[in-house]
Amino acid sequence: MMDDVCIRDLEKDFGGFKAINKLSLRVKRGEIYGLLGPNGAGKTTVIKILCGVLRPSSGEAYVLDMKVPDPSVSSRVGYMPQELALYRGLTVHENLAFYGEVFGLTKAQIDVREQALLKLVDLEASRNRLIDQLSGGMQHRISLACALLHEPQLLFLDEPTVGVDPDLRASFWRYFEGLRDSGITMLITTHYMDEARHCDRIGFMRDGSLIAEGSPQQLLDLTHTDSLEDAFLAYSQTEGPQ
Amino acid sequence: MKVSRAFAVTKRVLRDLKNDRRQLALIFIAPLLVISLFGVAFTGNVKDVRVVVVNGDVVAGNSSLSDKIISNLDTSVLNVAYSNSESDAVAQVQNGSASAVIVFPGHLTQSVAARAAGQTSVAQENITIKLLADKSNPNVSNPIIGAVNTAVAETIEGLGRQAPVSVDSSNAIYGANAQFIDFFAPGIISIAVWQLTTLLTLISFVGERTSGTLSRLLASPLKESELVAGYAFAFGIIGTTQSAVLLTAAVILFNVTIVGDVLLAFGVIALLAIVSEGLGILLSSLARREAQAIQFLPIVVLPAFLLSGVFWPIQAIPAWLRPVSYLLPTTYAVEAVRAVILRGWGLDKIYPDVVVLLIFASVFLVLATLLLRRRE
Repeated sequence: MMDDVCIRDLEKDFGGFKAINKLSLRVKRGEIYGLLGPNGAGKTTVIKILCGVLRPSSGEAYVLDMKVPDPSVSSRVGYMPQELALYRGLTVHENLAFYGEVFGLTKAQIDVREQALLKLVDLEASRNRLIDQLSGGMQHRISLACALLHEPQLLFLDEPTVGVDPDLRASFWRYFEGLRDSGITMLITTHYMDEARHCDRIGFMRDGSLIAEGSPQQLLDLTHTDSLEDAFLAYSQTEGPQ
Repeated sequence: MKVSRAFAVTKRVLRDLKNDRRQLALIFIAPLLVISLFGVAFTGNVKDVRVVVVNGDVVAGNSSLSDKIISNLDTSVLNVAYSNSESDAVAQVQNGSASAVIVFPGHLTQSVAARAAGQTSVAQENITIKLLADKSNPNVSNPIIGAVNTAVAETIEGLGRQAPVSVDSSNAIYGANAQFIDFFAPGIISIAVWQLTTLLTLISFVGERTSGTLSRLLASPLKESELVAGYAFAFGIIGTTQSAVLLTAAVILFNVTIVGDVLLAFGVIALLAIVSEGLGILLSSLARREAQAIQFLPIVVLPAFLLSGVFWPIQAIPAWLRPVSYLLPTTYAVEAVRAVILRGWGLDKIYPDVVVLLIFASVFLVLATLLLRRRE
C-alpha cells in the first residue's frame, strides 16, 4: 500500500519567491505527521497544494494515490484552513449543515454527524448560536468539526491550535490522538514546537525545505537536546544532519 | 454540475442575509428612500412660476383678446402678476422675483380682427405677443413657453377660427398620463438592484477569500460553476424581491402607471441581478480587503446611474459617450423594464434587450467560473 501522502521534489514559486524548494516527504496511513517551522517556512503552501487550492510549480504530490490537484480525492479529505473558514453570520448548525450539503451528505447524515461532533468538541449547547457570538476557542472547535463532518480518511490541519489557550490545546491533541487511533491519517502544521511531541513523526521545515525528519524522540536524541525547540534550533543553525 | 450543491450555496447566501437584520433593512430601506426622494423632489413639473403681464391691449368692456388669453393661462403652472410698464416688468425678472414677461401690444384685439378680415396692411408687430423669459433654466422657461402657446391656441380655437394647420397630441400611443416619475421609476429600480447585487457579491466574495471559506470550498467537492450558480440563484431571488418591494412602493406612493406584465419586468431584473453577480465576483479578485471593495461602488454605480437612460434618454447623451452606454448592461435592463411597465410590451418586443442581457450574463458567469478555477 502506498502512503496516504507522498510528495516528491515539490517546488512552488510565487512570482520569483520560492515558497517551497525541493520538498519530499511521505505521510503513512494512520499516523500524525507534524510539519514544524517558523512563520513563512512554507507549511501552509504545502497544505494548500495537497488540498488542491494551489498548483505545484514543479515536482509532484500524491494524496490517497491520486496526483493532486484532483477533484476526486476531495470527498475523502478533510481540511481545516488556518483562517477559521466559518461563515460568521450563520449559526453553528447552519455552518455544519452547509458544509455537509457541499460534501453531499443527506439531512439525516448531517444530523447524526452534527450531534456526534458537537459532543466531541463539547459545544452541544451552542448549536443555534451565531459564530460571531462565540469565543475564539469555540470557533476553532467548530472549524475542526466542519473538517470532520464527512468522515474523511485523511485530515490536513493548518495551524489548528494557533491562538488557542493551553487547556483547549491539550484537548485538541486528545481529539487528534483519538482520531488517529480510529485509523485517520493527519498532517498537522504548527509553530508551537512543544506540542509536536504528540506527533508520531515530525518534519522540520525552513525556507521551503525539510531540514530534518523523524520521531520526536529520534530528533531529541540526534541533537542531544531535551526540547524540540532546541532540536529545531540545532538543525536550523547547522543545516543539520539529514 | 450538481444542482443540490449549488442550492446549498444559495441557501447559505440567503441565510446569511436573513440573520443580518441590519443588512436586510438596508437592502429595502435605502432604495425606498431614494425612490421617495426622487419622487417627491423631482416630479418634473414646475408650479407657481411668477410671470408679469404688460397689457397694452385695452378695449372697452372686457372682451379684449388679451384678457381671453390670460384667462386661458394654466394657473397651476403660472402665477400671473401685472405691470404697466415693460421696463418695470423686465426689472422684476432681472432681480429674480419673476421668471418671464408677457407683453401684449396695444390694439391687439383690433389688429387681429383687421388681419382676419383680410387687411394685409396690419403690421406684424401689432399682432405679436412678446414673451421675454429668463431662459437660463430651461426646466422653468420651457413650461412657461408651453403654457403661453397653449393659451393662445385655445383662445383662437374658442373664437371659432380655424388655424391654418393644427397639431393634435391628445391621443398618446403609450403613457397617456405619464409623469416624470413614471419614466424614471423603472430605471431607479433597475439601478438599485444592479448596485446592491454587485456590491453584496463583491463584499461576500472578498469575505470568502479572507475568511478562508473559499479555500475550504475549493478543497471540497463543490465545483466552481456550482458556487457561481448558487450565488446567481440567490441574487436572482434577492433582486426580484427587492424590485417587487420598490415597485409596490412606487405604485402606492406615487401612483406609478403599470400597463405591462409585472412578472416579465421582474424576470428582466432577475437577469440583471445575475449579470451583476458575475461582475461582483470578477471585481472581487481585484480587492484584497472589504474596505477596497467599497471603493468600487462609484465605479459601478455612477456610470450606470448617469449613462443608462435612467433620467434622460440615451439619445440625450453626447454621441462620443454613447458607446459607454451601450457597454452597460443596465442600459438594456432599464430600456426593457420601462418598455414592459409603461408601454406594456411583451417578450416578443423586448427580446433584443433580453438577448443582450443573456449574453452579458453568460460571459460574466463563465469568466467568474474560470477565475475561480484558476489555481495559482
